[in-house]
Amino acid sequence: MLFIPEVLTILVLDILFIFFATLAFFQSYKIFKNWDIKATTQAQYNLEKTSYLSATIIKFIFIVKVPLFLFFIFTLDKISNILSGAMCGAGVVDATEYGNYLFVIKIINLYIFAYWLALNNEDLKHEEQPFTKFKFGFFLIIFFALIAEIILEFSMFNAIDLDEIVNCCGTIYSSTSNSYFAYILSLKPIYLLSVFYINFLAMIIFYHFKKKSLFALANIFFIITSILTLITFYGTYIYELPSHHCPFCLLQAEYYYVGYLLYTLLFLGTFYAICVGFIPTEDKTLQSNYKKSLLFNTLYLLLVSAYPVIYYLKNGVLL
Amino acid sequence: MIQVKNISKTYITNKNYTTTALDDVILQIFEGELVVLRGSSGSGKSTILSLIAALLKPTSGDIIVDNKHISKLSDHFASEFRREHIGFVFQKYNLITDLSVKENILLPLIPLNLPEEEMQSKLNSVSTKFHIEHKLEELVKNLSGGEQQRVAIARANINNPKIILADEPTANLDEELSLHFIKILQELKADGKTIVIATHDPLFFDLDIVDKEIRIHKGKIL
Repeated sequence: MLFIPEVLTILVLDILFIFFATLAFFQSYKIFKNWDIKATTQAQYNLEKTSYLSATIIKFIFIVKVPLFLFFIFTLDKISNILSGAMCGAGVVDATEYGNYLFVIKIINLYIFAYWLALNNEDLKHEEQPFTKFKFGFFLIIFFALIAEIILEFSMFNAIDLDEIVNCCGTIYSSTSNSYFAYILSLKPIYLLSVFYINFLAMIIFYHFKKKSLFALANIFFIITSILTLITFYGTYIYELPSHHCPFCLLQAEYYYVGYLLYTLLFLGTFYAICVGFIPTEDKTLQSNYKKSLLFNTLYLLLVSAYPVIYYLKNGVLL
Repeated sequence: MIQVKNISKTYITNKNYTTTALDDVILQIFEGELVVLRGSSGSGKSTILSLIAALLKPTSGDIIVDNKHISKLSDHFASEFRREHIGFVFQKYNLITDLSVKENILLPLIPLNLPEEEMQSKLNSVSTKFHIEHKLEELVKNLSGGEQQRVAIARANINNPKIILADEPTANLDEELSLHFIKILQELKADGKTIVIATHDPLFFDLDIVDKEIRIHKGKIL
């Protein structure tokens, strides 16, 4: 097991998460099974008290888990300094068989946990608590996603061997590598960029016609197109190197930590769109979520688009 | 206006000991009525008031005020309900003694973020009505018992609530001040307020202004 202060912090928090989430899991089961908001029985009043406590426990787990994702990325970067061959977090993720699965489940969980928080927030806004049964039922499922993430996290930190030389990001994100990234990098950027901008345009059209579900789906697709275009095209302008495609190096000091800003904007933009599509809210909240989503996504788009434009203005050519 | 339906309330003091404060209580209070809950100490009067004010949740049963099931409200909505509908005069007044009369009376308005002029106008109105306008800048700890009670009543009325609940309001007053309190009740009733008083003070029994007297003994309505 790799014991550095950052990893220890994550592992200690993971143990606390398991303990409290397990408590909340059993209470959530009781609530999901027996909840009847109209009942005035002793059992229902007890469930109402339990529901406030359980919702608070789950809320605090997820409130810590969401920003902890950035700390996890920061930790990967830190580990890369002591892991032979690794130049950034990408080398650490690739160092064990668990890394890539962990990273994918972390991104999915990030959205799921944030969605639960938004759902809980919406539920508590209404006297009749319309989403209580659903949010606790949903937690019964996502509890396993949380546990799976924690198990993978333990497994990854346990499997990292500091004596073993790992691949650097230049090898992993190369058009000649054996991974699926080679296929992605073989795609012509112009096609991916067209899909990316058409995707953004579609989001604006769906906003204009107030098509909530389509707006949310377009945003889910936007996460994928954004990351693909970042790896294949925009990243090369941030690094000013045509062959460098790593999505992790953006998080380093030499690129002014721009990755944290880009990924946060992308997360916020797409997350608010998911709220638009999948949480029934009153019109004021809906409009606010639409606008926040468009604002953050537009900022992301403008920021990544600025890099090739500035490069062209400075050098008179594209990479 | 206020419906108490099959309410039971049990306090759990420890794992092996519980106290039943109310047992299947049913009562109905109409708008504008002045109702006295009469019973000895520990009979459950204060528990009924706390339940109507949504300060407590029942063990079972339902409380409906203005068609709102207040026993089902979460803490957030219960606070909102109290702020808008209830004025509560506590037995020991529950004033903050290190604050001035003015600050105590204005406390319920703080979460509303009202403009300064509106707050001042409400303050002037209640302080004049309950004859405490000359003491506004004084610290509460320097006031007499009767004055403190008038501050408590002014605070309970600053939001112009429809319902006034008073728990043993004359327990700490001499007879003269108690009679003065009854005068204030007359005024509040004339304003159309619904008033519920929990007391075992004989002064309130058989008063003209009392519409209904409800006797409670060991958590049951007699």
